[in-house]
Amino acid sequence: MAADRAPDGAVLSATSGALLAAALALPGVAPGLAMAQAAPEQGVIALKYLDYRDWQPGEARMRVRAPALYVLKPLSDSVAVEGSLVYDSVSGASPLYFNTLSGASGIGITEYRTAGDIKVTKYFNRMAIGVGGAASSERDYLSRAASLDVRVFSDDRNRTYAFGIGGENDRIDSVNGIAVGQRRHTVDVLLGVTQVLSAQAIIQSNLAYSAGHGYYSDPYKLLDTRPDRRRTLAWLTRYHQHLPGIDATVKVSYRYLHDSFGSTSHTAEIAWVQPVPRGFTVTPSLRYATQSAADFYFDPPFPAGHVPGALYTADTRLAAFGAITPGLKLAADLGGGWSADVKLEVYRQRSSWRLFSDGSPGIAPLSARWIQAGIAKVF
Amino acid sequence: MVLYRFEFAAMACANELQLWGEDEADVRRAAEFAIADVRRIEAKYSRYRADSVTSAINAAAGGAPVPIDAETAALLGYAERCHRVSGGLFDITSGVLRRAWNFRRQPPRVPSDSELAALTPLVDWTAVEWNERAVRLPRAGMEIDFGGIGKEYAVDRAATCCAERGLAHGLVNLGGDVRVMGPQPGGAPWRVGIRHPRRDDAALASVELFEGALATSGDYERFFEIDRKRYCHLIHPRTGAAASTWQSVSVTAPLCVVAGSCATIAMLARESAEVFLASQAVDYLMVDAHGACRGPLQPAS
Amino acid sequence: MFIRRSCVALASTIAFLLPGCAAYAPPYPWEKGELAQPQMQFDADALDAKIGQHIYTSKEAAAGGYGVGGGGCGCN
Repeated sequence: MAADRAPDGAVLSATSGALLAAALALPGVAPGLAMAQAAPEQGVIALKYLDYRDWQPGEARMRVRAPALYVLKPLSDSVAVEGSLVYDSVSGASPLYFNTLSGASGIGITEYRTAGDIKVTKYFNRMAIGVGGAASSERDYLSRAASLDVRVFSDDRNRTYAFGIGGENDRIDSVNGIAVGQRRHTVDVLLGVTQVLSAQAIIQSNLAYSAGHGYYSDPYKLLDTRPDRRRTLAWLTRYHQHLPGIDATVKVSYRYLHDSFGSTSHTAEIAWVQPVPRGFTVTPSLRYATQSAADFYFDPPFPAGHVPGALYTADTRLAAFGAITPGLKLAADLGGGWSADVKLEVYRQRSSWRLFSDGSPGIAPLSARWIQAGIAKVF
Repeated sequence: MVLYRFEFAAMACANELQLWGEDEADVRRAAEFAIADVRRIEAKYSRYRADSVTSAINAAAGGAPVPIDAETAALLGYAERCHRVSGGLFDITSGVLRRAWNFRRQPPRVPSDSELAALTPLVDWTAVEWNERAVRLPRAGMEIDFGGIGKEYAVDRAATCCAERGLAHGLVNLGGDVRVMGPQPGGAPWRVGIRHPRRDDAALASVELFEGALATSGDYERFFEIDRKRYCHLIHPRTGAAASTWQSVSVTAPLCVVAGSCATIAMLARESAEVFLASQAVDYLMVDAHGACRGPLQPAS
Repeated sequence: MFIRRSCVALASTIAFLLPGCAAYAPPYPWEKGELAQPQMQFDADALDAKIGQHIYTSKEAAAGGYGVGGGGCGCN
């Protein structure tokens, strides 16, 4: 009889908890579990406050305080809107602001910037299309930008191709009257691919090309004269690896960047995301950047034999240097969809920290530190 | 808070939702959503409905691939994983063995080896061709069904549906497959009775659930007896034999779909059942062929 | 010239990065629980990413690569 047959010899080859992990991929079996790259099912509202200070020998300190708001809201199963708003107040002097309003004290002046962006994304079965706009307004600078990005998902959703195009129109009216009604137009294109390598690893690589023309000089810097065209090629690769044994995630990224001003930079970042008991997550991070100087950068003193109108800048941002940013972020899951985080980063720029070659000897070492504190609610 | 109870019939079972809530209209709306989703899953996957996805896939056996949506692909994916971890014991193509094991036939009889041998070529999940977009049963006469997954999946979705509408204390019971969302208000657990496998009117034990699911698979759902030997509806996919090592297996797990598939696999896994259940990190209470209980699940008396 | 130098740098970096990547074993949909966690996603904290990029734009020559259409400011 059938029921009395010999044992079947089936091999039970289970790994611990394998079925639970598999079942969690079924749609809607547990609250708040979404598949990667699907339309967001939950909204997010986040508020952050940034306190930034920097200092350089011989320069006054600059302080920036900036509250920022971010909202993501699904409008339907397949449409989501997200936007952010930031309000900067910049007080004190900086390499940028040092010559601003040179008749005034220079210290205690506060400049304001208001910036916002909004993006609507429509998700289809195998792709998502996003349309965005952004604007930033300061007393002497107005920027408006629009973008279109398309992401195409592979059948198994393990690969995503990204195509983006953006345009930006800027208008510069410096308060010292050097630049009046000056404009700058930029077009950006981006090609990217995101590949899930395994259940524990994901990699993204983006190639971005930017071409702009218009006014690039700094009207607040004496004799600053830059080309009226700038092309930039950036190649960014990011890799995230989850380590199941200790439930940690390692994030690394590398960016190569070269622009037609003649500056080449390499930027590497690593962060370790470590959940700890009681709903806390600790994330130490380290960033290193090294850049070569622009072709028309000259260290002080002012170059002898300079022809008026020839390309020239002494802007330290276009100098050759290396910079290191250690950081630490602490995040807490407060339950009920609430979370809070605080992050401290310390930035130091030194000409001697440049890799591959010497830094610009004339730049003063810049230091900065910033703290951001935020709270977010998922709804 | 008030406890609201909703009873409804679906999937050929008596079902209930028990939901604690402040506002009756809110609770009622959540219950309506949950019940509508259960009926949706029944209509979509019932093999008794000619217009279901399951029937469409089965009707095309041996023919062209049938396009499927993401939900169906996810269920097939879970069925594949169950097949893999059970060494082939859990096989959603094994339903064709019901053609030989007819539990409605009077008088009942055990199918002959040749009857079973004629059907076994049709039982082979590994032969099914499928991906995220389409599925094809390669041999005419092959069938799939989502028994052992579909109802349990509906339980989990109903629970999620209520939880996402803000109900933190509730219970879903579809024909004995149970999932609770959090404890009762005040922190007391839900007490869920496990049916005695040999006595219709008695509970074998009761289990306290604060969170998660409880599902039971037993030899008493559909069966016949010949010469005092019981032949139940759980059939080994390769040998065609009826499971007889355990009278029932009850499993608690975070998700009902996991509890249900673990209980089904354990019923078929003979002496390997406990090793399998331990490997899945679930708790269980099993009743062996002599009526003795075993397993780490502590029944509250 | 500009593009050619860039391509050489890209190619050498690809060659450098590839051996360090994890084994290629793309997961099934039901194996993506970990990937759905915020720490596995790129720019899960949108404001954190915006703030960082904005600060570095004002301190270094380089910017870009993360996306399109962020909008500029007078600090660059």
